[in-house]
Amino acid sequence: MHFSLALKLLWRDWRAGELTLLLVSLIIAVSTVTTITLFVDRLQQALLKESATFLAADRVVASSDPLADEILARARELGLEQAETLSFLSMVFSNDRAQFTAVKAVNDKYPLRGKLIVSDAPFVRGTPVESGPPPGEVWLESRLLPSLGVKKGDILDIGVASFPIGNVLVKEPDRGSGFNSVGPRVMMNLVDVPATEVVQPGSRLTYRYLFAGDVAALDEFEAWAKPKLGVEARMFGVKEGAAGIGDALDRAERFLLLGGLLGVILAGVAIALAAQRYSLRHYDHVAILKTLGATPNGIDTIFVVMFLTLGALSTIVGSGIGFVVQMAAVQILEPLIPIELPNPGLRPVGLGLVTGFICLLSFALPPLLKLRAIVPVRVIRRDLGEAGIADRMTYSFAFIGIIGLMWWYSQDLWLTMLIFSGGAVAALVMSVVAYGLLHSGRIFGMQAGSTWRLALAGMQRRGQENTMQILVFGLAIMLLLILYLVRTALVEEWRAQIPENAPNHFAINISPEDVDPIGQLFRENGVASQPLYPMIRGRITSVNGQLSKERDEQREAVSDDGGPRASSGRNLTWTAHIPDDNRIIAGKWWPENYRGPTQVSLEKDLAQTNRLKVGDDLVFTIQGRELTAIVASIRTVSWDNMQPNFYIIFSPGALEDFPSTYMTSFFLDKHEKLFLNTLLNQYPTMTVIEVDALIEQIQSIISQVTLAIELVLGLILISGGLVLLASIQASMDERFKQHAILRTLGASQKLVLGSLAIEFCTLGFFAGVLATFGSEITVYGLETEIFQLEYEINPELWVLGPVVGMVLIGVVGTLATLKVVRTPPITVLRELS
Amino acid sequence: MIKTVGLGKTVSTSEGQLTILKGIDLEIKKSESVAIVGASGSGKTTLLSLLAGLDTPTRGDIFLGEYELTALDEEQRAKVRGQMVGFVFQNFQLLTSLTAIENVMLPSELKGDSRAQEKASDVLQRVGLGHRFNHYPGQLSGGEQQRVAIARAFASNAEVLFADEPTGNLDTGTGAHIIDLIFELNEEFGTTLVLVTHDVRLADRCTRSIKIDSGELK
Ligand SMILES: Nc1ncnc2c1ncn2[C@@H]1O[C@H](COP(=O)(O)OP(=O)(O)O)[C@@H](O)[C@H]1O
Ligand SMILES: [Mg+2]
Repeated sequence: MHFSLALKLLWRDWRAGELTLLLVSLIIAVSTVTTITLFVDRLQQALLKESATFLAADRVVASSDPLADEILARARELGLEQAETLSFLSMVFSNDRAQFTAVKAVNDKYPLRGKLIVSDAPFVRGTPVESGPPPGEVWLESRLLPSLGVKKGDILDIGVASFPIGNVLVKEPDRGSGFNSVGPRVMMNLVDVPATEVVQPGSRLTYRYLFAGDVAALDEFEAWAKPKLGVEARMFGVKEGAAGIGDALDRAERFLLLGGLLGVILAGVAIALAAQRYSLRHYDHVAILKTLGATPNGIDTIFVVMFLTLGALSTIVGSGIGFVVQMAAVQILEPLIPIELPNPGLRPVGLGLVTGFICLLSFALPPLLKLRAIVPVRVIRRDLGEAGIADRMTYSFAFIGIIGLMWWYSQDLWLTMLIFSGGAVAALVMSVVAYGLLHSGRIFGMQAGSTWRLALAGMQRRGQENTMQILVFGLAIMLLLILYLVRTALVEEWRAQIPENAPNHFAINISPEDVDPIGQLFRENGVASQPLYPMIRGRITSVNGQLSKERDEQREAVSDDGGPRASSGRNLTWTAHIPDDNRIIAGKWWPENYRGPTQVSLEKDLAQTNRLKVGDDLVFTIQGRELTAIVASIRTVSWDNMQPNFYIIFSPGALEDFPSTYMTSFFLDKHEKLFLNTLLNQYPTMTVIEVDALIEQIQSIISQVTLAIELVLGLILISGGLVLLASIQASMDERFKQHAILRTLGASQKLVLGSLAIEFCTLGFFAGVLATFGSEITVYGLETEIFQLEYEINPELWVLGPVVGMVLIGVVGTLATLKVVRTPPITVLRELS
Repeated sequence: MIKTVGLGKTVSTSEGQLTILKGIDLEIKKSESVAIVGASGSGKTTLLSLLAGLDTPTRGDIFLGEYELTALDEEQRAKVRGQMVGFVFQNFQLLTSLTAIENVMLPSELKGDSRAQEKASDVLQRVGLGHRFNHYPGQLSGGEQQRVAIARAFASNAEVLFADEPTGNLDTGTGAHIIDLIFELNEEFGTTLVLVTHDVRLADRCTRSIKIDSGELK
C-alpha cells in the first residue's frame, strides 16, 4: 500500500520543486559518467586502431620460416583477416648501376591497417592506395631513384627477373617497426618472388604474417597460437612491436582510465551532496509522517520506491543525454581529432547505466535510509532525532561503492588503493585542519559585529558543516589538480623522449680511417650528428674471479627475471664524456683526460640483475683476448630516446688496441634524405639504419595521445565544476535562512553579500590548501607507481591551489547566493520555516 | 482511555541528568476533555508526547486504548498513532510541499484508506477552508494553517486528539475561533481530547484540568 503512496509523495515533492536539485544532480552525474566512459572507450579503441597501422596489422607473427598451415587455418576459422610479407636483402640493378636494398614482397591483402602512399616522382607527398604492387611490377623508395638513375617506368632487375618500376613508394605503414629495415626499400608482389630466384635455401628471410580483426578473436587466436610457435617465430601486437609507442599507449590508457575514475568519483560526490540535502530537508517531513502513523518500515518503503523511481529515471535520461553530449562533443572536435573514432558500442552505454546506478546506490540511498531513524518527537523538539548511528552506514556504503567502482573500472587493485588511500589520507588531514576553521569562523563572527554574532549563534553546528564543505570543495579541486599534474608530467615526459631534431638515422660499420672524413662530410653538409662511438663486440667472462656463465646459471635458477645476462655478447664502446641522457646513480664518471687503469661504466639494469657493484673486477673477452676492468660507475640510460645507447662503456683509450668500427647517429629532415646517397656512395661499406619513419610515427601517436588526454581533462574539469555548484547549492538552505534573518534585522545587502563572499573565499582558500596537499601526495604515488615517471614537487601549485580555490569558490559561491539578497527575506523565511 | 503508572522521564543534557517528569499517575476516560496546565518548562509537552507515543519514558507504563504503549516498539507505536491518535501542534506541522487537501488526506493515505480524498474534503469544508483546497501552507495565514491541521487530525477518525498549545502562535481572535472549532468537532466526533495550555479560560472549557509543576502532578 505504501507503494502508490510513495509515488504520490514523489509526485508532490516534484511539483513543489523539492526534487529538482536532486534529480538534476543525478542526471548530470549519470550523464557525465556516461559521456566520459563513452568518450574514453572510443578514444582508447581509436588509439589502438590508429597505432595498429604501425604494424599494418593488429597482430604480427615474424618468423624466419614459413608459418604452419594449421595456424593460418585457425586464424581463418576465427574470422581474422590475413596478409603476408617476406623481407630479404638483395642487390638490384638498373641499366648501369647497382644498389643493395631491403626488398619486401607483399601479397594483395597487405596492408591490413594503415595505407601505402605512392607517387609518380620521388620526394613528393603522394596519394594513398589500398594495396601493394600488383604482380609484375616493383615500387621503389624515393632515394633509390636518383641513386639507381631511374624513373617511373624504367626496368629494374632483381635476381634473374626484370620488373618495370610501377610507382614511387612514399610511405609504408609498418616501415618503422624494428631495425631490420637496413637499406632502401624495394617493394614487390609476393607471387613474383620465385621468378627472381633470389630466395635460396639458407637465405636470410623474414616472413611476417599479419592478422587483424576484433579484439576477442585476436585474443583467442593469440592464446591458442603463441604456445605453438617455434623459437624462430615471435608474435606481437603494437604495444610490443613498436618501441616507444607501447609505452606511450600504456600510459595514455592509464590516464584515460584515471580520468574516467575521477569522473565517477566526482559524480558520486555530487549525488551524495544532493541526496544529503534532500534528506536533511526531509527530517521534519518524516517526523510529521511518523506522527501521523507512518512506521519506520513504511518510511523505508516510501524512500526506496522514490529512490528507485528517481534512479531509473535519471540513469535512463542521464545516459541518453550522455550519449548525445558525447556525440556532439565528437562532432565539434572532429576537425581537431586527427584520428577517426570508431562508433560507440553498446558496452559503454551499459557501463554508464550500471555506473550511474551504483553511484546512486552507494551515494544517494544511504542518506535516504537514514530517514527511517528520525524520531517523531522531532515535531516538538527539533534538535532531536539527527540520526547519528546511521552515518557509519552511509560512509561504509560510499566507501564500498567507490572502491568497487574504481576497481571495476581500472581492473587494477593497486591503482585503486593508491588513489583511494591518497584521497583518504588527504581527507583525514583535511578534516583535522578544516576543524580549525571552526575557530577562525568564530573570530570572523566577532569582528563582523553583533548582527553577525546573532546570525552565527549556531556556530558549532555550522562549523561541522563548514568542515564538510571544505572537504568536498577540497576533494573536487584535488581531483582536478591531480589530473592536471599527471597530464603535464606525461606530456613533458613525451616531449622530452624524442626532442625535435633528435637523430633519426644510425650509421654503423664505419671503419676507423673513415671517422674523420665522415665527420667532415657531416659538418660540410650541415648535418647535426652525435659523436662517433667506437663499437666492438665483447662479453664479460668473469666477475671478481667467478665465471659469469656460472653466475648467470645461479641467478636464473633462483628466478628468471628476463633481465640482461652478464655473459651475453654486447656492443662495447669507450668515451671520455658521458652520453647526454645518461645519469650516474653510483660511483663516478672518469675525468676527461683519464689515463689510469681500465674502468667501465655499467647500465643500471645490467648491474642490478647481475648484482654488479662499483669496485667489482670484471674480465672481458674481446676478439679472443682478455681485458680486465674495474666498475667505476652505474648509469641509467633512456633506451627510448633513439640515440646510440650502450650497456657497457669503457674509459678512454681502453679499447684502442682492438680493431673496431665506429657508429654514430644524425638528424636528416625529410627533404635532406638525398644526403644518404652521397654518404653511401662515398663510403659504401658503412650501413645506415633509418629510424625517421619510426620517430615520425611515435611523434604522431604521441600528439594524438596528448590530445586525447587533454580532451578528457576538459570533460573532467566540467564535471568538477558541476560538483562545486552542487555542493554550494546543497549548503544553501542554511545560508538562506541565516541571511534572511540578518536582513530582517536590518543588515544591508552589502553586508550580507560581503560576508557571504568572505565566507566562500575562506572556504575556498582552505579547500585549495588541502587540495594542493592531497594532490601532491597522490600524484607522487601515481607518478612513481603507475606512470613510472620521476616525481618532482610542484612549488607553483602551492600558490596556485589556494588562489584558484579562493577565487573559484568565492566567485561561484557568491554568484550562486546572489538570490539570497534579491528575494525578500519574508519569502525565504516562509519557504524554509 | 489513557492511563499512566509511575511515569518518569529523565534526559541527559550537557549539564548532567535532568528529570523532567517524576512519577506521574493519571487516568483519562473516553470522551473526556482534559486540560494539562502549568508554567512554562514544567513538563507539559513532554507528558503529552509520551501519552501520544511520540517518545518513550525512562520509567513507568502508559496505556492508550487497549494498547500498552510502553511494551511496543516504534514500528507498532506508529501503527497505533496512525489508527487512533490525532495531533494539533503549536506550530501547525504541515508538510510544506503538500497542498491543504493533501495534508489532510495524508493520515488516511498512510492507512491505505481509499476514501481519503472524500473524507478530507468533507472535513476541510467543515473547518471553513472549502475554497483553499489547493493552496500550499506557505500561502495560508497562521489561523488557516491551524485549521488545516485540525482538519487533518479529525479526518482520520482519531479516537484521541492531542493538542499542544494550539493557539500559542495565533492572535487572540483567531485563537478563540480555533478553540471553538476544536471543541465543536470534538463533540461532533466524540473524541477524547487532551489539551496542553496555560490559558485558564481555555482550561475551564474542559471537563477537568490536570496541573503539573516541576514534573509532578498537583
Ligand atoms: N530532550 C530534552 N533534552 C533536554 N531538556 C529537555 C528535553 N526535553 C525537555 N527538556 C526540558 O524539560 C523541561 C520541560 O520541557 P517541556 O515539557 O517542553 O515543558 P512545557 O511544555 O511545560 O513548557 C524544559 O526545561 C525543557 O528544556
Ligand atoms: Mg510546551
